[in-house]
Amino acid sequence: MDTLTHIINGFAVCLQPINLWYTFLGVFLGTIVGVLPGIGPSASMALLIPVTFGMNPTSALIMMAGIYYGTKYGGSTTAILIRTPGEAASVMTSLDGYEMAKKGRAGAALAVSAIGSFLAGTIGVVALTLFAIPLASMALKFGPAEYFTLMLFAMTAVASLAGASPAKGMLSAVLGLMIATIGIDLQSGQPRYTMGVPEFQDGVGFVVVVVGLFAVAEVFRGMEGIYKGTAPEMIKISGKLWLTREEWKRSIGPIWRGGVIGFIIGVLPGAGGTIASILSYTTEKRLSKHPEEFGHGAIEGVAGPEAANNSDTAGALVPLLTLGVPGGGATAVLLGAFIMYGIQPGPLLFQNRPDLVWGLIDSMYIGNIMLLILNLPLIGIFVRLLYIPSGALYPLIIAISVIGAYAINGSVTDLYLILFFGVLGYIFDKVDIPVAPLVLSLVLGGIMEQSFRQAMTISGGNPKIFFNSAITITLVILSIISILTPFILARLKSFKGVTAEAD
Amino acid sequence: MADRVIFVSILVLAALYFYATEQLPSLEIGDPLGPKAFPRLLGVALVITAGILLLEILRAPKRASAPRTAEAKQSDRGTYLVIAGVVVWTFLFFLVFEKLGFVIATTIYLFALMAYFNPRKWVTNALTSVLFCVGSYWMFKILGVNLAQGILPY
Repeated sequence: MDTLTHIINGFAVCLQPINLWYTFLGVFLGTIVGVLPGIGPSASMALLIPVTFGMNPTSALIMMAGIYYGTKYGGSTTAILIRTPGEAASVMTSLDGYEMAKKGRAGAALAVSAIGSFLAGTIGVVALTLFAIPLASMALKFGPAEYFTLMLFAMTAVASLAGASPAKGMLSAVLGLMIATIGIDLQSGQPRYTMGVPEFQDGVGFVVVVVGLFAVAEVFRGMEGIYKGTAPEMIKISGKLWLTREEWKRSIGPIWRGGVIGFIIGVLPGAGGTIASILSYTTEKRLSKHPEEFGHGAIEGVAGPEAANNSDTAGALVPLLTLGVPGGGATAVLLGAFIMYGIQPGPLLFQNRPDLVWGLIDSMYIGNIMLLILNLPLIGIFVRLLYIPSGALYPLIIAISVIGAYAINGSVTDLYLILFFGVLGYIFDKVDIPVAPLVLSLVLGGIMEQSFRQAMTISGGNPKIFFNSAITITLVILSIISILTPFILARLKSFKGVTAEAD
Repeated sequence: MADRVIFVSILVLAALYFYATEQLPSLEIGDPLGPKAFPRLLGVALVITAGILLLEILRAPKRASAPRTAEAKQSDRGTYLVIAGVVVWTFLFFLVFEKLGFVIATTIYLFALMAYFNPRKWVTNALTSVLFCVGSYWMFKILGVNLAQGILPY
């Protein structure tokens, strides 16, 4: 009963004109960012943190979240029209979406991805609304030891799922934790690893790291593409922006299934939108009566994955809001934003700031409606963005990154840092080291060390506290499993390969 | 090859991190663990990571990497030269950023990059660079964020 009141009050918060405006601004920026190459949701949320600093945190977070789920809508547009996913999670959409566009059904492909995104995004928010309270009340029992092991699990899951090699994922995660130890230690007041740079006493800001790794590095990769002359060709929108009865019938099933798959994958740490859309694509291909159409313009191959990667964003907010522990790179940036506004997400937030939590969740219902309008009748406006020559766009993205990084402290050190992390991100990409684990552990690093030390203080220095409750033991086992899974899978694969050859 | 370089780099980094951790003075007031315990754990985690990477390198099937053609190598070298050029140019930009101020430094920086990556459109490139810099400078001035004024009077 109490919860219902909070949910309804949340609508009162998010329907305030000022918050409606920020919801719109967020989803609008999200669509742009999704369409444009070179800048993704993580970097754009990070760049907005300094700008939104003086704002009411509820409005600021509503806008940030809008960017986060809005990018998924925009990402599909480029996947369909130029076969380049504007966002990693749209990669499956480019397979059949582009083929549909080549056959003159670009309008239908865009329509089904917008409608599918809307339906699944809404399914996701409904599920988020239902799951948030029970999970949050369970998390109230968490002590520092439980939190430490939970964060450990989130990190190992992201590390082992983010790339091809679990060792490189772990490397990325440990590097993030190490960067988090730079600066003054909060408990002892002792400066650590500042290397004589006074600016490092406050630590290396995660905004500069994210902007470097996600925006600057992406610009370097884009410039490489221009140099090599691999610019893709664009297909004009053709056909009505709507579905035939037949197409609609074929799409509705994949949308529902994709929505459910996406939400579940989103709640689990590590996997994220890309895996959700791949899972949905393979599911639809398996269920289909005509699997040979997949890859040649099957509408199910657009509807399912697009639905999955949108409800994934709502699912990913479940652990962030209820436990305060994000399960991926983009939600880690959102957590970073929460922390910078002085808000600690987690079970207590549901008790102390129901207005903020429910205002944020409820704004997603409205944001999804706005996105449907932006991405169906108004899609033509955003498609024009694709005509901006990338040779002019990439330099501008660096300039925007410079503004964002410099605006935080007005310090040139931060500029050198975005360049450093930009080069690092570019090299990491070349040698297949994923960057999402680094961002996640950089944001969690401080909290993780605090909970580690609190737990050890409680136990009087005895590490057995991490094996004392059923929750911690489960989480430790899950962490170990997530590190070992890729190895077991590789074993199984090579075993299968051997038997297949024997046949 | 790249993986071996990463393996060695991890070990070097772990050694440096351990050394830096031991250099920290201990202040154990009301905190039995002190500021060193967690970093030590991270150092150990890094060494374990190196171990797993070594396993991966040893277990990886010895696939003969496709022989790179001379042209592809040439193109790779060209790419890295261009990216290195952009990095150096960006570094120089940051070096003079506060002396010249945001508007002048960024306009020059943008115009040069666009001249290379978006060639022959001199007028559009020049207009975009100038308008973007002046526009964003004033927008942020109104928002109360000062983007390095430099040598300009206002």
